[in-house]
Amino acid sequence: MIDATTESRLSGQRRSPFFYAGMMLAAIGAIVALAATNAIGSTAATILMIAPLWLAIPMVKAANRRADAVNAACASKGEVNRRYIKRIALFTSLYLATLALATFASREYSPPLELRTFLSTLPGLAIAGMFWAIGRLIVEQTDEFIRMLTIRQSLWATGFALSAASVWGFLEQADIVIHVDAYWWAVVWFFGLGVGAVINRIQYGTWGAI
Amino acid sequence: MKNRLKVLRAEHDWSQQDLADRLGVSRQSVNAIETGRYDPSLPLAFRIAELFELAIEDIFQLESAP
Repeated sequence: MIDATTESRLSGQRRSPFFYAGMMLAAIGAIVALAATNAIGSTAATILMIAPLWLAIPMVKAANRRADAVNAACASKGEVNRRYIKRIALFTSLYLATLALATFASREYSPPLELRTFLSTLPGLAIAGMFWAIGRLIVEQTDEFIRMLTIRQSLWATGFALSAASVWGFLEQADIVIHVDAYWWAVVWFFGLGVGAVINRIQYGTWGAI
Repeated sequence: MKNRLKVLRAEHDWSQQDLADRLGVSRQSVNAIETGRYDPSLPLAFRIAELFELAIEDIFQLESAP
């Protein structure tokens, strides 16, 4: 006989990391919507933004459970994936926190140029940390087939993002499309990883590690 | 490249996961090698040959080989 608490705990353990990632994005979206409609002030929004970051903890735990289940036999591979997930969760949290801090500081105060430069550099460095985490995943990966899939994904992402940036840049120069801030090309690169995963699935029958 | 991995695995009554465990790779790797989608590196090919106590050429052959 399983009591309600145990059942609830077991049910929680079965939740996928995507559930927590979705919850985090939904919470951030709700806060952004509240701030955009002036329902809450920017200070309150910045403070509230910290709350969804706590969802990174169950998300990492759920992802680790999944990595353990998939790679139960291949301990080193499971460990590599666990480290990757931890690093990505860390840099994602840092990105959200530093972005909120930079936005809050520039809206509420008029920080001097040096401080503004420092605060504006932090979110970009957090994204650079995500690239580093993917690089370490490739270096530390012990399964050569999975490593090849990850490299293929990264190459597809790079080709996709640089091609999109090149085409958009010339269209922008010709005043055909609107200006896009450069950090969006990193977002396109991460989307390109998804494109690479689909191509891996078609050619090799499996999505890859990222 | 073609290979006899699936036959050898069946002879030992191993699942893909069993073989992956013994080789220290993922099940996806075993599946990709068996289906000819991926050719293993020389070190992994040696590990496979060692596991089945065969020579590499008894497991892996070029497509054009008789």
